[in-house]
Amino acid sequence: MNNPSAGPSSKTKVGSSQSSETSFKRKRGVFQKDLQHMMYGFGDDPNPFPETVALVEDIVVEYVTDMVHKAQDIASKRGKLLTEDFLFLIRKDLPKLNRCTELLSMNEELKQARKAFEVDEEKLASTE
Amino acid sequence: MEQQTPTPPPSTPQPPELPQQPPPSPSPPTPTTTASTASSSAALPPPITATTSTSSLPSTTTSPPLLSLPSPSQNPQPPTSTPTPNTQTRPAAAAAFNRAWQQPTPISHFALPPPPLPLPPHHHSSSSSASSTASASNSSSSSSLLVPPPPRGGMAIGVPAHHPGTPPPPPTSFSSLTPPSFVQPFGGLGRNVTDSGPTSSSSQVRPTVGGMQGIGMMGTLGSSSAMRPPGVPVRPVQSSPRPQSSPSIQSPATQNFQGHGMLRVSSVGSPGSPSPGSSQSPQPQNQPWLNSGSQVKPPLPPSRPQVSPQSMQQRSHISQQHHHAMTTTSQQQQASSSQQSQQPSTSGAGTQEHYGQQLPQSRIQQSLPNQQQIARNLSLGTQRPSHSTIPSSPVQPGLPNRAPSAEPEESCNRILSKRSIQELVSNVDASEKLDPEVEDILVDIAEDFVDSITTFGCSLAKHRKSATLEAKDILLHLERNWNTTLPGFSGDEIKTYKKPFTSDIHRERLAVIKKSVLAGETLNSRSSAGQAGGHPKGHLAKGPTSIVGSPPDKRT
Repeated sequence: MNNPSAGPSSKTKVGSSQSSETSFKRKRGVFQKDLQHMMYGFGDDPNPFPETVALVEDIVVEYVTDMVHKAQDIASKRGKLLTEDFLFLIRKDLPKLNRCTELLSMNEELKQARKAFEVDEEKLASTE
Repeated sequence: MEQQTPTPPPSTPQPPELPQQPPPSPSPPTPTTTASTASSSAALPPPITATTSTSSLPSTTTSPPLLSLPSPSQNPQPPTSTPTPNTQTRPAAAAAFNRAWQQPTPISHFALPPPPLPLPPHHHSSSSSASSTASASNSSSSSSLLVPPPPRGGMAIGVPAHHPGTPPPPPTSFSSLTPPSFVQPFGGLGRNVTDSGPTSSSSQVRPTVGGMQGIGMMGTLGSSSAMRPPGVPVRPVQSSPRPQSSPSIQSPATQNFQGHGMLRVSSVGSPGSPSPGSSQSPQPQNQPWLNSGSQVKPPLPPSRPQVSPQSMQQRSHISQQHHHAMTTTSQQQQASSSQQSQQPSTSGAGTQEHYGQQLPQSRIQQSLPNQQQIARNLSLGTQRPSHSTIPSSPVQPGLPNRAPSAEPEESCNRILSKRSIQELVSNVDASEKLDPEVEDILVDIAEDFVDSITTFGCSLAKHRKSATLEAKDILLHLERNWNTTLPGFSGDEIKTYKKPFTSDIHRERLAVIKKSVLAGETLNSRSSAGQAGGHPKGHLAKGPTSIVGSPPDKRT
């Protein structure tokens, strides 16, 4: 079925024809650069094999896709997809859950800091 | 039950009392005791013993029925005898009951040696109602009891001396596992009036050294489950030094030798024919078996790792030790299966069947490493087979001698080699070591897994109207049926999301419910002062239902 994807250009290699058989081709190497650094951080060689990176990327994309589908299933009742749906999905995995909540809280703090920073700048600009 | 323990010894003296009660119908009690007319009494005993056993169980008051059981025609006698043997009937009943218990056991022992003949009685006893078969077997065993005495006491099979003490405990021990019972299957079977298959009762019967024949018998009897060993013991039977019983043994051995399937077939077929007439024949055969069995006992080297053909045979004899019996039989089974170069599927099925109870979990665990193995195989391609074949020969030295000779031939038919299994195990735990039979089973499991996956993948490809088996067929099957995802093979397709299908009516109803709930909440908030709180809720409860009920009405 044709998904009115947000980024058809990146995903669609075959033109989105009227038929529902078209499957969007996945762009390879979306996470290649970032993954190389992450793998090095976890103990791999600074220059890992491209096949290894491709495999890890496959794993990541598969995981994210699966997560999103499940979250959508949960959120379809409410109608809207929220971050709480994702948190609900990883509720059993404590390390992940804690890391997620930590990241979200840090995100909030950063937002607050940026907001305050901007306000300060405005004040400075105004006072000047 | 409790009567049995004290009564076993007195059971023998009691039989003479029994004849007093039913003099005209001595068939049931006498055959057991006198063992004279085994064959003729076979017909009578079944109904009588059944009744007697059942009647004796309840209580002493059953004495009159006990007396009357022997035969309806002999009614006049029982009534006359009832008043006097009130005390006698009680012990008689107990004795009869005990006898019913004892007879099956001794018979089972004796019945073992002559595989074809004794099978039917045992088979009957194990499968169908015990009473009838027990009686039949009792008659045969009783006769045999009297004849062969305990000189063969060494023989595990049918050691009369042990019977008295053993019968009581066995019924309780039935719950034990089957594997160890291989050695003494019949002992257990005899008792298994109610239970099915050999159980630990054999442990009490213990003396069953004649596991050889017993094992062969086991195979036929236990055909229902875990009766692999039949094939194995067959060899040793033939090669064992049994000059006396060789002719008699050969026939059953050959029958067993033909394989598991044959054993089962023979077991199925045998029960029917020999039951009536086999009562007498087993005796002469039993003795030679016992003799040979006792002779074979000494040379048993209980060394497990060395599964040479000779040791295998010896092991089958040795199977006295339950744990040994289990392992040896399984090993022999493996060895026999590999040596006989039987189809891996059958052996795999057998081993799985045998270990099915024990390894359901390990099987699931193995499926994952198997999949990893398969993935590796797919990715590495030809490198894998060369790797597996080369190390296979050097790895074998520690294994039994027969294994290397048989393994190389088998390895071409196998997908995995034992070497790869060991590598996998070392990946999990470096210090872990697996038993050879475990490795064999794992190889079988892997093979079956690959087989099933390939078959389903092919059917999916066919459904796709394609003549090529592609990765996506396998992936789909694994994902849907095994809940397993294999990263790295999914290609470039993106998994599209399917919104959960909700019918229109369902959505409408949900919307209505939402509205009513909201309305109710507002009402509650307004009339939060006490009494009114109850009513709005009631209104709410009625409201949604009425509203919900309307749409269907509209539709109709």
